[in-house]
Amino acid sequence: MNRNTLFGGAYAVAFFSFLFGPLVIMVITAFNSSKFPRVVPWECFTTGWFGELFGNQRLMDGLLNSVIIGAGVVALAVPIGLAGALALSELPSKLRATLYTVLILPILIPGVVLGISTIVLWGQISRGFGAGGLYNGYFLTIVGQITFISAYAMLVFIARLQRFDATQTEAALDLGATPGQAFRKILLPFMAPAIGSAAFITLLASFENYNTTVFTVLSESTFTTALASKVRHGTDPSLSALAVIIITITLVGALTNEAYQRRKEAEMGGRASRSPLYANPVTRALTHPGVVFAILVGIIAVVSFAGSRHDSSMCEAAVLQEKLDRQEELRAAQKARIEAEQKQQSTLPKSNSAFGGAFGGLGGATPAPESAEPAAPKPESPSAFGGAFGGITAPKLEE
Amino acid sequence: MPDTSRPDQTPDRSVLLDHVSIRFGNFTAVDNANLKINSGEFFSFLGPSGCGKTTLLRCISGFSEPTEGKVLIGGKDMAGVGPNKRPTALIFQHLALFPLMSVADNIAFPLEVRGVSKKERRKRADELLEMIALPGIGDKKVSELSGGQKQRVAIARALAVEPDILLLDEPLSALDLKLRQHMRTELRAIQKQVGVTFIYITHDQGEALTMSDRVAVMSKGVIEQVGEPDRIYNRPRSAFVASFVGENNALQGVIKVQSGETAALDTPMGTFEARVGGGRKYKAGDKALLFVRPEQLVPGAGDNAFEATLTRQEFEGATNHVFAKAGDSELRVSMVNAGLAGSLPAAGETLSLGFAPMNATILPVADMASDT
Amino acid sequence: MKQLKLAYDTMLAKHGMGAALFVAIAVTLWVVVFITLPQLSMLDYSFRFNLPADQIGTEADHYTLDQYRSFFFNNDGSVNTLDLMILLRTIVAAVIVTLIDVLICYPIAYILAHGAKGVAARLMVIGLIIPYWINEILRAFAFRVLFGATGVVNTVGMQIGLWDVPVDFIRADVALYFGLSYAYILLMIFPMYNAIEALDHTQVEAARDMGAPLWRVHWRVVLPIAKPGIVSGATMVFMLTAGALAAPQILGGPSSLWFTQVIYQWFNESSNWPRGSAYAVVLLFTCISFVLLTMRVFKVSVGEIGK
Repeated sequence: MNRNTLFGGAYAVAFFSFLFGPLVIMVITAFNSSKFPRVVPWECFTTGWFGELFGNQRLMDGLLNSVIIGAGVVALAVPIGLAGALALSELPSKLRATLYTVLILPILIPGVVLGISTIVLWGQISRGFGAGGLYNGYFLTIVGQITFISAYAMLVFIARLQRFDATQTEAALDLGATPGQAFRKILLPFMAPAIGSAAFITLLASFENYNTTVFTVLSESTFTTALASKVRHGTDPSLSALAVIIITITLVGALTNEAYQRRKEAEMGGRASRSPLYANPVTRALTHPGVVFAILVGIIAVVSFAGSRHDSSMCEAAVLQEKLDRQEELRAAQKARIEAEQKQQSTLPKSNSAFGGAFGGLGGATPAPESAEPAAPKPESPSAFGGAFGGITAPKLEE
Repeated sequence: MPDTSRPDQTPDRSVLLDHVSIRFGNFTAVDNANLKINSGEFFSFLGPSGCGKTTLLRCISGFSEPTEGKVLIGGKDMAGVGPNKRPTALIFQHLALFPLMSVADNIAFPLEVRGVSKKERRKRADELLEMIALPGIGDKKVSELSGGQKQRVAIARALAVEPDILLLDEPLSALDLKLRQHMRTELRAIQKQVGVTFIYITHDQGEALTMSDRVAVMSKGVIEQVGEPDRIYNRPRSAFVASFVGENNALQGVIKVQSGETAALDTPMGTFEARVGGGRKYKAGDKALLFVRPEQLVPGAGDNAFEATLTRQEFEGATNHVFAKAGDSELRVSMVNAGLAGSLPAAGETLSLGFAPMNATILPVADMASDT
Repeated sequence: MKQLKLAYDTMLAKHGMGAALFVAIAVTLWVVVFITLPQLSMLDYSFRFNLPADQIGTEADHYTLDQYRSFFFNNDGSVNTLDLMILLRTIVAAVIVTLIDVLICYPIAYILAHGAKGVAARLMVIGLIIPYWINEILRAFAFRVLFGATGVVNTVGMQIGLWDVPVDFIRADVALYFGLSYAYILLMIFPMYNAIEALDHTQVEAARDMGAPLWRVHWRVVLPIAKPGIVSGATMVFMLTAGALAAPQILGGPSSLWFTQVIYQWFNESSNWPRGSAYAVVLLFTCISFVLLTMRVFKVSVGEIGK
């Protein structure tokens, strides 16, 4: 049995390394001044990528759009999901199974299909009724997303409803409440925590969604679609910086939630008075979810402020100089080699295309070096090269 | 309390079940229930689970309508009147206290939905807490209460609407034995204090017999017998009642002759004379059952004497439960402990037993309660 | 219809007029306007020609099988092996990703349900959820960083001398498979966990006590209980993988397209909506048939999904 526990533990460690490894590496790359996100070679510790991130107008516009769309989706998907869960709880079992299948289906249908069907339908409607106003990216994205995000909300409500004691409603009716009063005073308060988590999940799902949104958003862009087009057209560590921000928010949320859950559990179980942690007024205040949250936010604020004061330009200049020297060397070596090759054949050197990609990085708008690499991977062109050339523009952008 | 606050004479708090039948599809849950529960009475429905007693209770409280017949409360027909409009209050099996509200809010809920002001509600809740002897717990959470406290809070909440009828659906079943026995006394006391009609549902005959003014025994949707607890016990009218309420020995036999109130029954153990249950008439040769309780089987010759072989015994302090075989049936005999003056018989010993004809009942052959 | 009326009446009696109307309207809206009509509209569109706006509604606008024909056949009448192969490859790849997820998630779901306790279990749950909160695009991006020519995998691999030239994991679709397997792990673990948790742990102990080896305990005791959860999770992972767009766009090699990318191209690059609709219908039909077939084989109903 002991051997099995050991094996289980080892497996769990390996599994969670797989889950967190990529994230940890991405986080590290956010602080490396290298133009391409990577851990080695480590150049300089920098916080400049955060500034670069906030300076990206397209992403910031997308963020605003995502907030607008997210608010619309939460406002519609939560009530619809609640209605679905309530309907399922009242239907006779055979009909319930059918309706459940219909309502859960949008989760399984590929997002691409949902997006297409939404724009096709509303395109026809706006043509047929002359309601062109409906045919805009915000409306279509909200409509397209709630089709399946409502089902997420519904699953949350179903789970909560299953724990509802139906005699509570009966007791309220028996004590003289009207059905409406029983619904408002008994069932809705019971569902309140689920409404909170459903709102959170729907907001996250709306924010995250790419497959449906990329069709329905038309010429606008949301945060995620802007992000995707940035990744597709060339990557830089400002995306890692974004990941750092999201992971930080997630961790703060998770820790605050944990503090809240523990406190609630302790209070519900009547353990609150017995636990020394909750008995002592100081530790009791310290473990309050609000205080935990405030402390975490405070730490982040201090770290961010310290980070924003960090100046890596000296180090970067040194690295740049070193690279330029090395580049000079390489260029000289290459020149010598090209001359040697030209003696043998008159065709163009193979490494030319790799160079083109590397220089393209200077412009910023054209694909960055790394995205060009898979298309033309040449062992002779060390990718350190692309990074070196790209690095030239970095200090300028930060000004 | 609702009683004293009203200047006019005691209202009619009776319940009349007028040929009530409740069916779900082909299944008959309640079959032709026809009885009157008097104003201010403590009335119990006793029966095994699935006998239809909870269905009947839900029908009185208004959660379902009878398929046939009528329910009258205080002389008024309740057809089409919802549970929130009936002068009844129901205590649920698991109490159904609202966990998200404080104790006081729970008790004041019926007043809240009737639009009573907050101050007035609080005052009334405190009065009711006083009545159930739990003053000052109004601001506690429901989860902080003990089982017995929850029980009493549920009663206070039900009484807050000043109902004419309080319906209780096995509310004590979740409590441990000691608390259950204590709550029996308490419930009875509260009922006497407020004067409200209590209709109590239970499968526990001890509860039904100790608390009730009258008991209705139900089996498979049918009300088998209605009466005072001692009559239910001593004068059962059906084989089911005889076997479900208390311990009983059943002997199968054939009627030899009936003469008025008594009849003679031929059994494999001999011919016995006993009272005829339910005022029925038998012909010679009819099959019948003779029921005699363990404590009515007494040692020594006399009326209805027979011999039996002792197989085993269970000594339980005040009582010694003796099991004896006679013919092909095993009989249960309860003997009062006579102290050191008496001596316990040993296994294999032959006992001479007998019983008075008036203490045994002849009943028609029918289904008996299976768990005894 | 009668049952719907009955359900509405129950709702009315239990929760009142406002709640009953709200539920009836919201569910109808959802089922009809948001779920059914768009799919019908897309189906309708897939049977039409790609016409300029001014010709829509004219005589030229009639039903045709043209869009589907061009999925199966080229213009010259030969079989359209290119698109058919992409679809087949997408399905096969989705199956492989699903199987990988089943294999790597089962032990964790079991450990979570029966091994880990207290703080460890809570940490594991949080640890499973956190990666899922990070944007899908960023998760794909992380794998690009990991598997790039100068990524950690190549650096480490070359450092310890496994290979001397950077391996192009992107072109070889290794990064894609990793990224897709990673993306939906949570959706595999939770249904599995819910199913396995229902198992009384003493059954496992009893089986061990009777001398069964560990693999047999899992095969005979745990797996039968876990089956609905596995099928439910596998269905979700399969459908989401087959319908994925972001990961193939970011991690896919230049020469290997995902079927959703073909649809995307018809819509956004060729502006041929009817053709795109037809391809979407083909994808939907193929995936759902495949899932239903698999469920039939494993004797699990659709109602199990999401539980």
